Amino acid sequence: MTASQINGLPVVTVRGGDDIAEVRDVIYDPEAGRLVGLTLNKRGFFAGRRREVLPADAIHAIGRDAVMVMDESSLTAPEDAPSDVGHPATERNVIGDDVLTEGGRSLGVVRDLAVLVGSAGEVVGYQIDKAGGGHGYIPLPAQLAVSGAALVVPDVTEEFVRDDLVGLGAAVDEFRSRLGLE
Amino acid sequence: MTDSFRSATGRKLISRASAGELGVVGHFVVDADERRIAALVVGRGKKAQLVDWAQVSGFGPDAVMVIDDGALRAPVGDREQAAADGRLDLIGKRVLTEQGNALGVLDDVIFDASTGAVAMLRIGDRDIPAASLLGSGPYAVVLDATQDPAP
Repeated sequence: MTASQINGLPVVTVRGGDDIAEVRDVIYDPEAGRLVGLTLNKRGFFAGRRREVLPADAIHAIGRDAVMVMDESSLTAPEDAPSDVGHPATERNVIGDDVLTEGGRSLGVVRDLAVLVGSAGEVVGYQIDKAGGGHGYIPLPAQLAVSGAALVVPDVTEEFVRDDLVGLGAAVDEFRSRLGLE
Repeated sequence: MTDSFRSATGRKLISRASAGELGVVGHFVVDADERRIAALVVGRGKKAQLVDWAQVSGFGPDAVMVIDDGALRAPVGDREQAAADGRLDLIGKRVLTEQGNALGVLDDVIFDASTGAVAMLRIGDRDIPAASLLGSGPYAVVLDATQDPAP
């Protein structure tokens, strides 16, 4: 699934079966290639922002229909959360970044994050607006360097651009083994 | 003998001591940790009352026998009040796995009428063992990872 599909999902307790919040936004660390946490809204229309955040290590799983936590204590006051969750930097968003290979070829522009369904927020790739038109997906870990404007990926990434999330899932393992990562 | 929530709903509640009818079964309150019926809810709205499973002396096909007229009690605390209000009724509730994926809506619960132990959860034409039940509440019934649909 993509990160934008996580926004608005209910946050549900495993033990209590209760919807205690809903996802306002995902907080992503591009250097680490993973979600570090979620910001929250109260449940219901126009209910407004919740002060607490949900650090990644308190997420039981992110699914298609809900973000699961063990209980209400999984929600954390910002001052008690890791600083990258409690006070996320605003300029670290990769959405809109140009994806450049080391050889200097543009693969497209980052449109969204591809998140592993059922994980605690593992990012396995990026959805991109391809340079040649249309959407595609590239696997992670891919970038060598990231700034507010561009991220640089190995040349081999070009061979692993896929049209859909199913194709990306199959490409990730092979991509990582080609890079000697697994 | 097994029974089900749907078939038992609306069944008469009779006092064994007085043979008087105390009401009808509205719905069931389940203890998800113990995977058994904790109580029956009798009546609706502000007048809803609870009967603890320990007060049931015979859960039969035609009537639910309770020890005496004192078996009915008012709800105590937020969770029991939520139960009495019907917000914890499992039937018709959405079912999620602990991975956060939806399986559908809970259609029925099969239980052992002699012990109150929950045996199966029925979702559509699937019967899922009660051992997969992790929790339940006002929003959802939560099942363990073994019930997660393939990604």
